[in-house]
Amino acid sequence: MSSSDPRNSPHSEPKSLLAGVLAVVVHLLFIALLVFGVSWKDHPPEGMMVDIWTELPKPVPEPVKTQAPPKQPKPVPEPVKPEPEPPKPEPIKPEPPKPEPPKPEPPKPEPVKPEPQKAAVAAPVKKPDIAMKQKPEPVKENKPDPEEQKKKEQEKIKEQEKQKELEKKKELEKKKELEKQKELEKQKELEKQKELEKQQEIAKQKEAEKQKALEKQKELQKQKEKELAAQRQREQEAKAQREAEAQRAAQQAAARNQVTSEIGKYKALILAKIRSRIVMPPDLPGNPVAEFSVTLLPGGDILDVRLSKSSGHPAFDSAVERAIFLSKPLPLPPDPMLFNEFRNLNITVHYRE
Amino acid sequence: MSTTVTQDMSFLHLITSASVLVQLVMLILILISLSSWWFIFRKLFVIRYEIKKTDDFEDIFWRGVDLNALHQRIISSRYESGSLERIFAAGFGEFTKHPAGSDLDAVMESTRRAMRATYQREMDYLESHLSFLATVGSVSPYVGLFGTVWGIMNSFRSLSSVTQATIAHVAPGIAEALIATAMGLFAAIPAVVAYNRYASRTDQLATRFESFMEELSNVLQRRAAE
Repeated sequence: MSSSDPRNSPHSEPKSLLAGVLAVVVHLLFIALLVFGVSWKDHPPEGMMVDIWTELPKPVPEPVKTQAPPKQPKPVPEPVKPEPEPPKPEPIKPEPPKPEPPKPEPPKPEPVKPEPQKAAVAAPVKKPDIAMKQKPEPVKENKPDPEEQKKKEQEKIKEQEKQKELEKKKELEKKKELEKQKELEKQKELEKQKELEKQQEIAKQKEAEKQKALEKQKELQKQKEKELAAQRQREQEAKAQREAEAQRAAQQAAARNQVTSEIGKYKALILAKIRSRIVMPPDLPGNPVAEFSVTLLPGGDILDVRLSKSSGHPAFDSAVERAIFLSKPLPLPPDPMLFNEFRNLNITVHYRE
Repeated sequence: MSTTVTQDMSFLHLITSASVLVQLVMLILILISLSSWWFIFRKLFVIRYEIKKTDDFEDIFWRGVDLNALHQRIISSRYESGSLERIFAAGFGEFTKHPAGSDLDAVMESTRRAMRATYQREMDYLESHLSFLATVGSVSPYVGLFGTVWGIMNSFRSLSSVTQATIAHVAPGIAEALIATAMGLFAAIPAVVAYNRYASRTDQLATRFESFMEELSNVLQRRAAE
């Protein structure tokens, strides 16, 4: 038999490792189901959230974009002003009159082009001005040309070539001076325009500030009105509360009065009932008074009667005590809330009423 | 608004935000569940193997093979033998140990005792760990319930410090506490099912073993009488 024991104890258990692996797999499956199941249920509310938040931010950036462009043109004209000034002195030094206007022209359209992109309002104002300046220039230049020719012909006839040269030089100088003057005028006009623009901007800014101030004032007024309305509401609420409290107090007082009257009524009823059961001992001197403290049960039953103050006549005391026991159940108010007033009754009985 | 309406109710977040005791209960339940599933699969393979072995052996035995040759074969391949084969080996070995002229009743009695002893050992082996499955099936719901009750207690206690009590204050705590109950049930239900199934299977095997023992003793008695 001893040889059979080792055979039985090492049972060749099949696939116990596989069993462990399978157990782990089952749990992983379960956990995956739980995680995906629970998170899958979470997704719909998240989608709702996304919808709500994508709708809200859209209107917010749009006003920002519309507000931004008016702010940009204000700083832009300032850098534009220094740009046209440097090109002007440069073309002045090269003398030829006709190339002069075209030279300043190319730099002008260059600063003009960025302007319509940034602000369409400022560009059209400048364009007509430039056109006006360009047109008078050739007109003024043509006028001096015939004069010179006439003078030259007269001088050729009358005077020598030297004088002509001198005159030519003078005329050239005059032309230069005229051109300089024109350029100065142009500069002045540009400056004036710039100043006007600045003034307009300042005016706009002032108007905006005024509007802001007005809005602030309106808001303040609204706030004040709101505060006043809130104060009125509070006062009304306080009044209503006071009135309600007063009503409550009155009701409570009335209830108390009712209660006290009820209690007094039933105490009188009790006393009358007891009195009706007293067999009065005859011929007692004076008006002796017996006081009893009676403990009552709900329903009018008497638990205990104690003589708290004797009348001096034991016959009267015992007669009252017997009457109290005889008169049970004592009349009690139907309201059980009032029973507390009757739990410990003090009954005083006079020999003579 | 959006953060308060949808709190993070993902499964992992619920577990990690639970209180320490509830987490401990969850850990215990996971370990219990793992071991119970391990035993479920082990017993599944063992019982299947035993049933197959028993079928095969009964088939071979009743075909009328030479019992000595069968006994030799079983002893030579001891680790691949089934329970019924071991019972047969024990009984037949005990029967052959007696000399030819000995008392028949005494021989049969000792043979039956040997088979009974092996039968007891085999049944003990087949029924091992079934009591563990029964324990898991009956206890793990209570362990999970304990974790849930504790978690709900805590979530209600935290509610007392709030002036305006809404369901949103309690809901996450209750949800994370209820995970413990879910885990307990997950451990218990398969354990109970497996216990009932394996218990009935081992009972069937036991009756087959007992009837085989009776029949073998009859066969051996006839053989001794010849």
